[in-house]
Amino acid sequence: MSTEVREPQAPGPTRRFRITSVEVLCVVLLLALVGQAAFVRILDVPAIRTGATVFVAVCIQALPFLVVGVLISGAIAAFVSADALRRLLPRRAALAVPVAGVAGVALPTCECAAVPVARRLIAQGAPSAVALTFLLAAPAVNPIVLVATAVAFPGEPAMVAARFLGSMATAVVMGWLWARFGKAQWFAEHALRRLPEPAGGRSRWRVFAETARADLVDAGGFLVIGGLAAAALNVLVPREWVNAVGDQIVLGILVMAVLAVLLALCSEADAFVAASLSALPLLPRLVFLVVGPAVDVKLISLQAGTFGRAFAVRFAPLTFVVAIACAVLAGIALGVGR
Amino acid sequence: MRRETQNILLLLLGGALLKIAFTGTYLRYVKPSHQWLLIAGGAVMVLLALVSLVRRPGSGHGDEGHQHSSRGAWLLLLPVFAVFLVAPPALGSDSVQRSGSAVAAGDGMEAFAPLPPGDAIPVSVGEFAARAAWDTGDSLTGRAVTLTGFVVQDGGASYLARLSIGCCAADAFPTKVRLDDAPEAAGLRDDTWIEAVVTLVPGSARRDNDYTPAATATSIRVIPAPEDPYEH
Repeated sequence: MSTEVREPQAPGPTRRFRITSVEVLCVVLLLALVGQAAFVRILDVPAIRTGATVFVAVCIQALPFLVVGVLISGAIAAFVSADALRRLLPRRAALAVPVAGVAGVALPTCECAAVPVARRLIAQGAPSAVALTFLLAAPAVNPIVLVATAVAFPGEPAMVAARFLGSMATAVVMGWLWARFGKAQWFAEHALRRLPEPAGGRSRWRVFAETARADLVDAGGFLVIGGLAAAALNVLVPREWVNAVGDQIVLGILVMAVLAVLLALCSEADAFVAASLSALPLLPRLVFLVVGPAVDVKLISLQAGTFGRAFAVRFAPLTFVVAIACAVLAGIALGVGR
Repeated sequence: MRRETQNILLLLLGGALLKIAFTGTYLRYVKPSHQWLLIAGGAVMVLLALVSLVRRPGSGHGDEGHQHSSRGAWLLLLPVFAVFLVAPPALGSDSVQRSGSAVAAGDGMEAFAPLPPGDAIPVSVGEFAARAAWDTGDSLTGRAVTLTGFVVQDGGASYLARLSIGCCAADAFPTKVRLDDAPEAAGLRDDTWIEAVVTLVPGSARRDNDYTPAATATSIRVIPAPEDPYEH
């Protein structure tokens, strides 16, 4: 329970008053209240105001889903033993990876919720390739996302099918690649620490509540970093990029893939944004829909915080490339935009 | 960071979610159906923090798993301050000028369902623009309709604009209608909410102007900002 290991400690036992994070928090809150008027004045620039609104929007949109994720994570830690998990999954990773992809369809979570769940699965002994496949599949191929895509692209059923195929292929290919080349030491040590098996009924609920709470505190901070990045980019990235691309298909694919990473839209809504970019052909917009739920600034921040930086710098770029390739292949195979 | 501090931060954050959900300010940031999610999420946060505050530290097994530093948790203060101290406004003319105009996809081959009968019936800005750009049935031609939106002054022209969101304000995209022959609109400041009775200028939404329709306004009335500033 000694989460204050890195707290500044007062030197000797002679001092009666120790400065801990509680006191720091009180001072910060006091300063914020006193400086409120100055704060508001600084923010009274149109661009910053827009950025602040987007920041709050990203945070409060994602936080309830993160809560869902940490509750599932807590439930796995408390009620699903490592043995049960092993029995549930096929022994061979080559088979278990597609199973995890299909499990993603059944569990409609948003990308923020999937991160703590995947981490807990790994900590409880599931193969990391399986957990990462779930991480990529759950936000991208669930029914809510597919229905939203169908609504946003009326008369383009190939778009829905291609999104499903491209996202599923991304998740499964990444799982297989990870099973073959991934290394456990890329994960931060704290990400993999397994919680002790709870002893009895009451103790299970304690593990549940404490795991969920600690995961929420951990991941929440990184979600905020992701929200800040998304808000800044939302204001700074000129949308003329999209119009300038016009009909150049290769350039369009690259620009839309980069936009998907920078804008960090939630997978439930990105189809509507893609639909509104009517100046572009359909294939680049499909790439936008497949890349977005798999890798974006908010997710990279969450993954770096949850699994460690060494993991994120390898996983995110690789996912980016695989997702573009899968989206283009799925689009061509299903005749999107023809 | 001490466990108590983490719990206070969670209480504040959960409280922030509950506050915007109950006061209605959440509509500036997310779509209406998100309200119950915010309430549930905020309540769970508050509950987890309270359970942890009430329980005596060290009495359970669950604590050993989290011995790494959680300095990142300080960042949770940012959304708390943003909600309680700043309460950023809904997106408006700045976003419109930043991102031009967008119209829902269409192929120019279909005829839309006819508009319901009646004089100056209310139509959403998004639907107005979509019909203006794509409807082969010309359902807007010669029809006066009522649009609600905010004023954007850009390049000597006055626009009535509205933002649409699919999920949250991060994915907002604007739709605008140029108001022709509307001297009273030219005198209004950016972000003034208006209700305008307009008639489409046929053929004004073209590919070279990003399908931004033009309309002549017969009456413009300044109104207070609606509770939900976005279209969905």
